[in-house]
Amino acid sequence: MSDRQRHGFVLLLVVGLIAASVAVLMTQKTVLGLDLKGGVELVYQGEPSPQTPHVTQDALNRAVDIMRSRVDQLGVSEPSIQTTGNNLITVGLPDVHDVKRAENEVGQTAQLHFYDWEANTLTPNGKTVASQLITQDPTATTISQGASGGPGVPGAGGLPLYQATKLAAKQPPQPLSKTQSRKGPAYYLFAAPGSAACAAAAKADGTTPVQGQHCLLAGPDSSLSDLYASLPAGVTKAETELVTVPQGTVVLQAANPSATNQIKPGSPNAQYFVLKDNVALSGTDITNPQPSTDQSGSPDVTFGFNGKGQSAFEKVTGQIAHRGANVSLGGNVLRQHFAVALDNQLVTVPQIDFKQYPDGIIGGGGADITGGFTSQTASDLATQLRLGALPINLKRISESQVSATLGQQALHQGLVAGAVGLLIVAIFLIAYYRVLGLIAVAGLAAYGLYFYALIKLIPITLTLAGIAGLILTIGVAADANIVIFERVKEEIRAGRSIRAGIATGYKKGLTAIIDANVVTIMTAFILFVLATSDVQGFAFTLGIGVIVSLFTAVLATQAILMTMSDSRTIARPSALGAGGKHRVWRYDFMGASKYFFTLSGVILLIGALAIGGRGLNLGIDFTSGARINVTLDHPATASSVQSVARAQGVSSPVVQEVGGKGLQFQISSKPLASSDSVKQALNTKYGVHSFGSESVGPTFGRTVANSAVIAIIASLLVISAYVALRFDWKFAVPVLIALMHDVLITSGVYALTGRQVTVDTVAALLTILGYSLYDTIIVFDRVRENIPRMPRAAFSQIVNRSMSEVLTRSLATTSCTLLPILALLLFGGSTLQDFAFALLIGVASGAYSSIFIASPVLTHWKEREPLYRHRRERIESEYGAVPAYASVGSDVEPDRGRGRGRRRVGRVTEPEPEVVSAAEFEQMKRDIAEEEAEPSRPTSTLTKRLARTGDGQGGGSGRAQRSGGNGGRSAGRSSGAPRGGGATPPAPPTPPAAPASPAASPPPASPAASPPPPTPPPPPSPAPRASDADLDEPLAGEGFEHAPDEAEDEGIARTSKPDRPSSKSRARNRRHGRRR
Amino acid sequence: MGMLAWVMMGLALWHFTIWLPDRSWGGIVGAFLGALIGAAAFGFIVNGFSIPGRHDTTIATVLEAVPGALIGIGLIYAEGVRRERAGHATGVNL
Repeated sequence: MSDRQRHGFVLLLVVGLIAASVAVLMTQKTVLGLDLKGGVELVYQGEPSPQTPHVTQDALNRAVDIMRSRVDQLGVSEPSIQTTGNNLITVGLPDVHDVKRAENEVGQTAQLHFYDWEANTLTPNGKTVASQLITQDPTATTISQGASGGPGVPGAGGLPLYQATKLAAKQPPQPLSKTQSRKGPAYYLFAAPGSAACAAAAKADGTTPVQGQHCLLAGPDSSLSDLYASLPAGVTKAETELVTVPQGTVVLQAANPSATNQIKPGSPNAQYFVLKDNVALSGTDITNPQPSTDQSGSPDVTFGFNGKGQSAFEKVTGQIAHRGANVSLGGNVLRQHFAVALDNQLVTVPQIDFKQYPDGIIGGGGADITGGFTSQTASDLATQLRLGALPINLKRISESQVSATLGQQALHQGLVAGAVGLLIVAIFLIAYYRVLGLIAVAGLAAYGLYFYALIKLIPITLTLAGIAGLILTIGVAADANIVIFERVKEEIRAGRSIRAGIATGYKKGLTAIIDANVVTIMTAFILFVLATSDVQGFAFTLGIGVIVSLFTAVLATQAILMTMSDSRTIARPSALGAGGKHRVWRYDFMGASKYFFTLSGVILLIGALAIGGRGLNLGIDFTSGARINVTLDHPATASSVQSVARAQGVSSPVVQEVGGKGLQFQISSKPLASSDSVKQALNTKYGVHSFGSESVGPTFGRTVANSAVIAIIASLLVISAYVALRFDWKFAVPVLIALMHDVLITSGVYALTGRQVTVDTVAALLTILGYSLYDTIIVFDRVRENIPRMPRAAFSQIVNRSMSEVLTRSLATTSCTLLPILALLLFGGSTLQDFAFALLIGVASGAYSSIFIASPVLTHWKEREPLYRHRRERIESEYGAVPAYASVGSDVEPDRGRGRGRRRVGRVTEPEPEVVSAAEFEQMKRDIAEEEAEPSRPTSTLTKRLARTGDGQGGGSGRAQRSGGNGGRSAGRSSGAPRGGGATPPAPPTPPAAPASPAASPPPASPAASPPPPTPPPPPSPAPRASDADLDEPLAGEGFEHAPDEAEDEGIARTSKPDRPSSKSRARNRRHGRRR
Repeated sequence: MGMLAWVMMGLALWHFTIWLPDRSWGGIVGAFLGALIGAAAFGFIVNGFSIPGRHDTTIATVLEAVPGALIGIGLIYAEGVRRERAGHATGVNL
């Protein structure tokens, strides 16, 4: 396939994809995340149960299936239930009206257990009720026969929670068995009656302490760390009393007296019974549960039994009936019972009439559960039982709620930020690159279209973080164009034709782009695997966006440009921004690195002190707690909002007014069970315009922090491995140091400014790792390219040269990335602003560290290698100091074809059609003219130059001759100095361009300005070359100035400068003229 | 948080080693490792082999890293000088 055909095909593909994208955009619906359309997100942590001792992926998946069925029963459209990490389940419920019911339905374990009541319930003396009934123990009798409301209700021999747990704590732990309902101990924290801790807990709950009773501070919990983390504000660990209920014993709350009289767990009115955890049968043994009504018309739940359940039911009821007959002596009938408990609370304790069922009840007819149901709760329980209990226990660790209004507002802000970002990047590209910029903008437009179509097609749930990722990829796409365009301009300035310049520019720029983007994709992948769900959205869009941008920024724009290359539009280099002389930075980057290192050191020092002094303001994602953002319809004061929140049971609410009009408030508190009641109360009193809440438990914070640390370490390892693989392992270490520099500086700035560190900040930090590397790879790629070109230069000279070549490009890519980030910061709303701030600092720091940290570290380290040490010593011995820049004439053009194999025709990055630039051609003409004038010369300069490339590895005759011609002077200066050890050619050293540092003694400014060093008589043959004369010519001094033409700077054209020619070159110019 | 503070201080101090002659063992990267490991190890030891948490990290915690970093850099530098001398003595260029 010819070039033209290939580009035509690519253009056809681009147009076809645009048409397909438009079709997708018109027909498919965008799936918005909860943060954009409103809804509830719940995060649960799976915990082991006796039936599932380990939380496996299979158990999580089974739980997800059951939860999905439950959500379907609720009639929620487009729910999202997925597992995250090893043990988390994230449930997204859009458009839910009854949030509390949804929460109860979805996450309730619904473990239904049947106990033989008298055989398992303990009296205060620790003996079973059954064993005490024979002795007619009054307490045992009360527990067994109950009070007016029957057994198992408050007032029927139950104990306050503290006494119940203390009784349970005295029981010996039992080995784990499948008849138990719980695995491991359960922990409770209490405070003494009348203590300050009880007062603080009551204040936090908005209740009054109960006199003479221990108060529950936290629990029950299976984790001690979680238990202590959930202590009320102002209560210390020392003020608490820990009670541990061992495995094998359970504390069950008494049944609710009626459907209208529900007693909350931990309430002073709640009573508890202590039972041996010996389950007779469970929810898995029943079939077809249905809501129904009993004979009195009260709601109940009927069900049947499966085979196992039937026999178990018969067995236990038979045992109960026999015991009833045994303990009912004379006329004293003591009917025995079995208890039904649902998730640690008794539901009902029905009796077994031993006279009617002397051998128990045959389970074939099923049974029913009555007591304390409303129609709704009976229906819900039946649904839960029908769908089955969750195989694992679930603990809710985070809850966030966003109203539809708030979601729309966030979506609007995100879209505005995206549009503005795209616009300013487009303006920048067009202003800076003219026609190339226009093509890049066309590429960006195609990119935007494709990406949005992909989002709809896959479909990707678009979240706020996803929009941030999308906006960021605009910068990535533009960066790729900039890298290529700068390369194209370089090639054209070097004398190539427009068409050749474009082809070569794309070919040379592609390596760096692929390297940089592969790292970004890898970082995005790590984020996706390890992060929480909203960050996953960001990672996914970032990864997909980078891949799409590679297509549009590389293939599409290349096809457009190549197709246009013969047209008049880009016939002149100026149309591509490559007209005139290129501004080349002539700054001693390596020499100045000391000052930049010092600057970084000072910034880090301040940052470290800020972290010690002020600390990081960690958000609730890490510290746990609740945050409610509410906009009211009618003005209110902070104190009135606080009162409303407190009245709804919000623990230690701190209310902050936002905006100053009395309408917007942020309420912070300890983690909330549900924010729905607060929303309703505020709506009733002031009217709620928009509402968003987030409640995070301590476990979630730990999970987020752990996954962040793992993600950062994994990213660093992967990045290092990739850089080591693609470059050299010594290149990986500076990269790591620079990344560490960037992340720590960003952390320091967060500490200094006191901005809140959220989970989005962590995502931004990880993105910084990828982005910071982008710039570093651009620089290192050029260093890698220049190393074989400059076989006699010190490493600092190679790096200086590379920096000067890519600095403009780095500044342009950084600007292009920062512009959309700035748009995010200005227009993105509070969530995106947090994200953008971290990115802004990180990307700026990344650009800086690529140049002033990574490269100097690389230089310092590489210069310790014998090869570069010898070069440095040689240059120093000859010139007194190492100039900042090597001579242009010291370059060689590496033979790319050798060793790698020739590229096949038809590759995307096909070899340039011209391999000799105009400058090279001029040089060749001069060389030929020289040879014609001097017939004794055996080979042409070009031939020798090519030979010299090979000499770099082992020396050769051509080099030896040149060394003899010019190196004699060097020999006179550098007696005893190592000369060209190993691959170092013994050729004349690079001339000084500027002093390496202000302290260093400068070499002669130019041969004309200072007396030349002692030079031995010139050798008889061969005649000196023009390039040799150039070698003696120092470059301009330190600082920024216009450099010579790029072609010269590339070392391709070895021409003498007209203003300061050496005597030899002057003579030669007189002979041959100077045609440039 | 304590570890973050130590590492940050170690990294900050390492930046100033650019002014030292390049004689550290392993060069600037050796100095980097010396500073970081020294800072973290010293802080760890001074704090009784524990890492201060978020609320326990103060300016004093940060400053605890200074001697460790300096010791680390010093040791690496001294080792570099020793090896350099040994190299000169034996004629081996290390």
